[in-house]
Amino acid sequence: MTLHPCAREKEVAELLRLGHWPDASSNELRAHVNGCRMCSDFVLVTQTFQAARERSLPSRPFQSPGVLWWRAQLRRQNAAVERMNKPILGAQIFALSITALLAVGFVVFQAAHGVGWLSWFTDFSQSRASYVEGLHVLTSAASGWGLDLLVPGLAALAVLSGVVLYLASDRQ
Amino acid sequence: MSPWESVIPNIGAADATRTAEAPMDSDAFGQFYERSAHSLWAYLARVSGDPALADDLMQESYVRLLCVTLPEEGEVAHRRYLFRIATNLLRDHWRRPGTTSIEELPEEFFSSSDGQARLDLHALLGPALARMRPRDRQILWLAHAEGYSHREIAEITGLGSASIRLLLFRARRKIADLLREQPVAERRAP
Repeated sequence: MTLHPCAREKEVAELLRLGHWPDASSNELRAHVNGCRMCSDFVLVTQTFQAARERSLPSRPFQSPGVLWWRAQLRRQNAAVERMNKPILGAQIFALSITALLAVGFVVFQAAHGVGWLSWFTDFSQSRASYVEGLHVLTSAASGWGLDLLVPGLAALAVLSGVVLYLASDRQ
Repeated sequence: MSPWESVIPNIGAADATRTAEAPMDSDAFGQFYERSAHSLWAYLARVSGDPALADDLMQESYVRLLCVTLPEEGEVAHRRYLFRIATNLLRDHWRRPGTTSIEELPEEFFSSSDGQARLDLHALLGPALARMRPRDRQILWLAHAEGYSHREIAEITGLGSASIRLLLFRARRKIADLLREQPVAERRAP
């Protein structure tokens, strides 16, 4: 089985494409097609398929192009909104992760340095006779840890990190 | 609505509208649709053997065409891209669990006429087409009904250009033999 196309196949194809076959073709070309297996196959198959194409009619009218156009617009908008929400979601996850990490870090730190805060309860129960004294103990214990500055500071850092990450990823 | 959206109001709507411009406007699309819908539907219906599926895939093909940034300009390129989308959708449909692979479908599936929804290929295309493999039918249709070149068919189907040449040659020879076996009257009314 040879794969080399017939030299006249293009000529035949062009006549078929223009709808000039066989009326506008020469006797010599018609004789060639009758004798050439490749060209006769080409003519037979092309005419059959083109006739089938013309006769392919849907059972119901096609959807209006306007409806399809608006459906596509809606899908594009939804995709664009989804793309823009991705950085927001990323920033939220990042901020949550930082907060969780800080909480875990705090717990680990306290565990490593002994449960020193339990002594505060002891001090507090001893001094609960005087409410003012209790408050004094509480304040001194907290300032000892430095938590009144540390926790809000780290929280602010976590929130700011989220905002910075959001702004950075939004510009990409 | 997420808390971030209340902090930065309308961020989604405004930017989404700006980035959601279609590759062609409504009027241009309407004209393109008028000129290409029949060809695309015929291709999908003939290859799948299911007019209802052809309806669905045709609509989806146009919607997807409008949702992408087209790599080339011009109606010919858009039309080729449309056929490529449709070919991929057909392939996806056959690959989906619950649907049979195109290569596994018996040829009788395409020639059977179970109910009105099924395209009556026996009457419309003739038994010759029904006895071809679905992939050969795709290639034959693109080459002989749509007039695409080997390179264009390769682009649409995702096959190699050299493979198209060989596959088309064999498919054409086979279907020509099958057509010659039929009476002339049947062949003229495929």
